[in-house]
Amino acid sequence: MTDVTGPEGKRRYPLRWHVMDALEGAAGVLWPRRMAPFTGWLLLAPALLLVAVLVLGMVQIAESSLHTLDRSTFLPSEDYTLENYRTVADSATYLKVIWRSLYGSFLTVVFTLILAFPYSYILVRTNSAFTRKALLVALFLPFFIGQVVRAYGWLIILGNAGLVNDALELIGVERQRLLFSFPTVVFGLVQYMLPFAVLLLAPALTAIPREVETAAGSLGANWARVLWHVVLPMARPGLIGATLVVSTLSLTDFAMPAMLGGGSQDFIANAIYDQFFRTADQGLGSALALLLVAIGSLLVGAIFAAFGAGTLAMGGRE
Amino acid sequence: MTAPLQRAIFWILVGFAVLILSLPMVIVVGASVTSGNIIAFPPEGFSLKWYEKIAQARDLQQAFWRSIQVSLVCVAVSVPVGTLAGIALSRYRLRGAMALQVYLLLPFTVPLIASGIGMMLVFGEWRILGALWPVGVACAVINLPFIIWSVSASAASLDRDLELAAQNCGAGPIATFFHVTLPAVMPGVITGGLLMFVLAMTEFLVSLLLTDARTVTLPVQVYNNIRSIITPDLAAVSTIFVVIALAAVWLLDRLVGLEIFLKSK
Repeated sequence: MTDVTGPEGKRRYPLRWHVMDALEGAAGVLWPRRMAPFTGWLLLAPALLLVAVLVLGMVQIAESSLHTLDRSTFLPSEDYTLENYRTVADSATYLKVIWRSLYGSFLTVVFTLILAFPYSYILVRTNSAFTRKALLVALFLPFFIGQVVRAYGWLIILGNAGLVNDALELIGVERQRLLFSFPTVVFGLVQYMLPFAVLLLAPALTAIPREVETAAGSLGANWARVLWHVVLPMARPGLIGATLVVSTLSLTDFAMPAMLGGGSQDFIANAIYDQFFRTADQGLGSALALLLVAIGSLLVGAIFAAFGAGTLAMGGRE
Repeated sequence: MTAPLQRAIFWILVGFAVLILSLPMVIVVGASVTSGNIIAFPPEGFSLKWYEKIAQARDLQQAFWRSIQVSLVCVAVSVPVGTLAGIALSRYRLRGAMALQVYLLLPFTVPLIASGIGMMLVFGEWRILGALWPVGVACAVINLPFIIWSVSASAASLDRDLELAAQNCGAGPIATFFHVTLPAVMPGVITGGLLMFVLAMTEFLVSLLLTDARTVTLPVQVYNNIRSIITPDLAAVSTIFVVIALAAVWLLDRLVGLEIFLKSK
């Protein structure tokens, strides 16, 4: 940029600067200085619009949930009715599916946290750079591989002629039918959720100074008491964030129940999919979808109201 | 960590976690090099014949390229949108910040099946269902919070005075943005962009809902094939995903360092 301040009359004004001036000029006209207080909103506008697609989708679902399927024409009915919701409420099958999803999601949260806590703890506290890197890589790889491929791996491992059954046979246990059962679906969900949970827990553990634990220890607390009275309470934002994400993602999961449950262990998402693509009853499917949104929001709302957003807050400001 | 008992318990749990995280990958890669005709682990002898087979399978190849296109659309949409939003959220005081948080977290709080079906209905109304680019846009919508997070985390650590200094030196708002703000949040933009690409590449449920037989993406193709018959060629396809994941992790580590995710907010 030194060439600009040459001798008088010989100033060169680079093309880039012309472009920048033109841009600044245009910006000044399109977005005058008095609009400055709204600049934040201008920058946010595209994101707000993009998320609006989702909101529109919710409106569409709500709309179509109010029409029943006319069995004679296979078209949605003209008039508005709450019939679909009544069908869901009266159906023992759907109540069972909803219960199974809630119970599965609860179990997933418990087991995921039991595994994610020591994982994050060692990840944060270890002195070995190699251990830390290895644990991080082991965490990110599956996160980037995607659900389908991971479920496929488990199909091979847990299949009737799979690795686990081979091992069982070696130690003299009869081959088991492991796939397509509820515990297997929960297991699949746990291993799927583990990276999410660790990534939400670890920042909270980083925020706890090592000295606090040392101090508690030197005051006579054994490790279990340090953990229970010091580390866990201080890790609360992380535990909340992890619980929020794991519970909602597993409650609404489709792939694990579909692939590891093999149709016998459907969660709500699978029931919705079936209504849309097997039975082609869009209204009933929409009612179920809206119900799932409601259950999920209630869950999130309850955790939010009770504990705050934890490590889930965006934008650095709480 | 002092107590040996705590050490032992924690390491046993971590060992189990590492096992269940890595085992599917190892098995899939192992099964893909079998010379037999059925899925088996340990594989029966070594051969690359299943890779040869997928190299000739047109449906898989086309699905692969469609996935790449979807990911590129997703990145093209989400990176500018998410970058601006991330900067706005951390650099400007906005009225109703709490409501904004709730609104912008909708892609995470609305279940994927509902988002997917909602967008399926909306795109159907707009008569763009069946094209490939809306799938990319949908992936951008459902993963948007990821890039907003990563950008706003970078932006929060930028010294406000730097922007003021630039303006003091005569830089207009546009120049300040491109020469000061954007370079400062670049680590967040790159991390977010990478995340968006890989997540769109592996996105399954929303793709399943928004694609038809002519536009299936690779994860959906794998899912469909699993439901019909499990042959080792799927293991070879899955290995492609493992390779992509390895590349992404390596890149992420080189660009920003994986340790960045451990930082407290």
